[in-house]
Formats: sequence, C-alpha cells, structure tokens
Amino acid sequence: MVHDATEDLFRALAKRDPAKAIDVVERVRAGGMAQDRLFDQLFAPAMAVLGGAWADGELDEYSFTRAAAAADQITSFVTAPSAARDTGVTVVAGTMEGDSDAVDKDVTAAALTEAGHRVVDLGTGVRPAAFLERVGETGARIVLVFAQTMAAATAVVRVHEMLVAGGRDDVALLVSGGPFRADGRLAHAVGAAGVVNGAEEALEIVGRAARRGGGAG
Amino acid sequence: MIAPAPPLVRAEELARSGDVARAVVAAHEALAAGDTGPRTHALLAEIFLAGDFFEPAIESATRAIELDPDCVPAYLSLGLAYDRRGGMWDQSVLVWHELAEVDPGLVVAHVQLGEAFFASGFETEAIEAWRQALTIDPHNARAMYNLAIAALRREGMATALPGFRKAGELDPSQDGFFFRLAGVYDHGVPAPDPDTVEADRVSRLEAAFALALEDDLFSAMDLVRLVLAEESDEADALALAGHLYLKQGAVLEAMAVALRALSVAPKTPIAVYVLGTAFARHSTLNRNAARVFGALASAVPDHPMSHVLNAESLLGLQRYGDARAAYERAVALDPTLVRARFGLAAALTIAGEHALARHEIRRAAYHDTRRAGEFWRLYDAYTAGEGGRNDS
Repeated sequence: MVHDATEDLFRALAKRDPAKAIDVVERVRAGGMAQDRLFDQLFAPAMAVLGGAWADGELDEYSFTRAAAAADQITSFVTAPSAARDTGVTVVAGTMEGDSDAVDKDVTAAALTEAGHRVVDLGTGVRPAAFLERVGETGARIVLVFAQTMAAATAVVRVHEMLVAGGRDDVALLVSGGPFRADGRLAHAVGAAGVVNGAEEALEIVGRAARRGGGAG
Repeated sequence: MIAPAPPLVRAEELARSGDVARAVVAAHEALAAGDTGPRTHALLAEIFLAGDFFEPAIESATRAIELDPDCVPAYLSLGLAYDRRGGMWDQSVLVWHELAEVDPGLVVAHVQLGEAFFASGFETEAIEAWRQALTIDPHNARAMYNLAIAALRREGMATALPGFRKAGELDPSQDGFFFRLAGVYDHGVPAPDPDTVEADRVSRLEAAFALALEDDLFSAMDLVRLVLAEESDEADALALAGHLYLKQGAVLEAMAVALRALSVAPKTPIAVYVLGTAFARHSTLNRNAARVFGALASAVPDHPMSHVLNAESLLGLQRYGDARAAYERAVALDPTLVRARFGLAAALTIAGEHALARHEIRRAAYHDTRRAGEFWRLYDAYTAGEGGRNDS
C-alpha cells in the first residue's frame, strides 16, 4: 500500500497538484502510519522517484521546478510540528537586583520558550518581592535567578527568604551565573535548590519537572 | 615609478613567505639604506605582527601613519596589534574608526570596528558596524557570524541559527567540503571548454565538476544532463546536480536528486552532503539534517567540516552540549577553520562561558584576517598607488 501511495504522491507532485498530494498523505495517515514516519516512508521515496523522473528526462526542467514547489507546499503535512508543544511548566526568571547582565537570562529564557515551557521574564535588577508576586500570579513552581556579580549572588538569599515568608517553600529556587559556577557552596548558602550552568542544563532540569508534572503552573 | 631598494623587496618576499626573523633583518637593512618611507614602516609593522611582537608593531605602524595619514595597510596593522595585544580596546576602536573614514568602502574596517566595540561592551554600536559592513558587502560571512552571535546573546538560538546558516553559506568552507568529498581539487588548471570535452561519461563528469568548481553552474549542469541522458542512475552526476541546484537556491530539487542518488548508491558521500544541506536549508527539516550530518560525521571523521555541519544541526535540536563537542572536534582538526570557531563561540555563549566565547571570536577573527590576506591586498594597492603618487 505504501508503494502505491509513493507512486500516487509522485504523480500528484509531477502534475503540480498539492491538493491531490495532501489527499494521498491523509489517506496514508488514516491507514495507520504515524506522523513521524510519513517523511521517511512516503515523502522521501516519492521525492526520489521525482528526482529519477527528472534524471530520466521524463520531466523537463520547468515541470521539475513546479513539482518541487508543490512538494514544498506539503512538507508541513509530512513532518512533525516545528513548534514545541506547551509543557504547562511555568518558570519565573530574572536577574537579581543590583545586577544588569541579561545575556545568560535571555539565552536561557529563549531556549526554555523554544522547548515549550512558559517563561515569565522579569528582566534585570529584579527586586526579591517581584519574584514572589509573579509566582503568586502565575502559579509557577520554578524560579530561576541570574547573578553575575558576587554582591548580587549573595543577595539571592533574600529571594529565598521572601518565598519562605510568603509560604511558597514549595517553589524550587534555581540560580545561575559566574559566582555560583565558581563557588559550589554559594548556591546552598543562599537557599537555592540547584545551580543551572547554561541553557542546556536549564532545559534538562525544567524538562524533568515537566515530565514529573511537578512544575505545572 | 620609484624602483624599490633591493632590501625592501627582499623583506617583502621574506614576509610573504612567513620568514619573520629574516624579514625583520631585511626591513631594517632597507631602513638603514635610506628606505624610510611609510611603506617600509608599514611592512615592518606587519612583520612584527606576524611574529606577535605587538609593541614594535604598534610603533612601526604609528610611524607609517605619521609619515602618511592615508597609509591604509598601516592602520590595519595598528588596529590588529591593539586588538591582539589586548587591553587596548579604546585605542583599537579609534584606529578602526579612523580607517573606516580613510577608506569608507573597506569592509574589514567596519567588521573589525564592530569586534572592537563588542570587546569593549558596546554591543549596539558593534551591531551597527557589522550592519554597515554588510551594506558594503552583503556576502561578508564574518560580519554575518558576528551578527548571529549578537542575536544569540539577545534573543536566543532559535533567532540566531538562521544567521549562522546564512553565514555558513557565504563561507568558502562550505563548497570546499563538497569538492573535497568529491575528490576534486583546484590544481590551478582552468576548467575545459564544455564544447571540447570528450563525449564519454567519465570525461563529461570530470569536466562538470571542474566547471562547478569555477562556479560555472549552467555549463556544469549541461554536462551533467548529458551524463544522465546516457545513464540516469549515475550517482555522482545526480549528487553534482544537487549541489548545482543548492547553489541556485533550489532546495527541493536538490533534495529530490540527492534522494535519487542515495536510492541507487546509498554510500555516496557527496549525495549525503547534498541531502543534509538541503534539509538544513529548509525551515522545517532540521531534525532530518541532524540525522544525515550525524551519519556524515561518522563516515568522514577526519574532516572538520563534517563535524561543523553536524554541530549546526545539533544546535537546532537544542543539543547544545553535543554541538559544543562537535565544534571542539572540528577546531582540534583545523584550528584555522573560522566557521568552527564562531560556532564554538556560540556553543560557549549558550553554556554561559563568555570569556571562552570571546577568546574563540578573537581566534576566528585572527584566522579570517589571515586567510583573506587583507594586509597584502592593501599593501599591494598602496604600493601601486605610491608609484602613481610619485609619478605625479
């Protein structure tokens, strides 16, 4: 059946008929093929046949170009969605009061957003109370505080104190920045649950929370 | 035209060949012989710079500029000396600014100005300088890389990755890798006239690759079609057609012929490369690119570009640690590969290792300036103009 569908898809593309091509894809999907296998098992073989038809001289240059354009129009039907699904995890992120560095925060926040997490970016120079306020508003259970100076890093303890005083000791306080990377004890000293070194670690940690369902907000 | 003194000519030859010690001696002989003009001092600055003698380079370049405020190669050496010495970013910014005013159409001045601004923490000004560089030369890969890193720092990898890919397309390393995989090298012999090529498959295919190497895309494709007319499943011809389609931006066509090539000969490296590149250039197919380039990196582990392409696809999958490792392998194989250095800088930025990232950007800039041969291009132009100036 897949072989027939490959031929049908090729014919639809060769005739520059994206609607017919989509019909073929839908038919195969309805027949039980998973979305993540459509590209390898249907689209790619059909494209190989298309390439062969050009090489054989069955399709001239103009027809080949038009067929390729039709193929381009249907790629979204044979691939997984490019945007990540919403994980339901909310992270409140910000650079500590007294610190204006935004690079690590921006890079990490963008990576988390790209992965489907909801990121509430409070910016730089954020007061401890602002973290608590936003946690309350969003139901977030992960707070990520960035600090690149020693003074700002040690001041993160005020965020921890604020969360505890506000009855939010269920919130995981994570920290990131050069001072925490340099001194492994500093994170514990300020009451943080862990240190995030770079965007990939943030993805791992928040991803684990998403899988556990513990960071849902 | 003033005939240069023999010691100066000797110094130039020695400097071009990289013989720093003897070039310095010859340059000083030229000075002792009375050749004390800006050209000699500019040459001496470059020689010192090549040997990493920054203070003497600064001294010589400054002397050249004092003698002739329009001595462009001296400005280049002076700015580079300040940059590489380190801790003199304010002076560096002034020099590049001055050079951009002396020669507003000189792209490297704007690129270097941007890098000096960036090193000094003036990111907005740096971005403006790199944009100006692209206004002058839209194909300047280094300005594009720098802008991509700036975009990464402000908006994350999803926004920056297209910039890295675009820079990669502009970078000469991309095509170089394809022809390396095809076993085609530039021996300095021009490609044959297509009309004189022997009418057999091998000769036509060889000529097609040679024409493609010279960017004569249409003549190359004509010969490819003749090969395929004889044997439509000739995998190398199909892969070359894919490369030619990619060069014209026809991504889906390239994908189709590459898939055809691989269906008849699954282990054709150039077809694998073409397929991976086609996937990478399509907005929704990065996941597929990662699989293909991962396989290519395993099949061709001794070439740095296979790891660079793999790394770029891994960045698109948020596998930043793996991307960093791949870039590090590429740099270990070829420390002069500019694309790998910039990519590694991106990976280090994502990891929060900004000092190391800046180091990689400086190394990338160093190697890019060297591979472009900027100093000698400017020096030769200045020398030619000097003869004209002295005639008038």
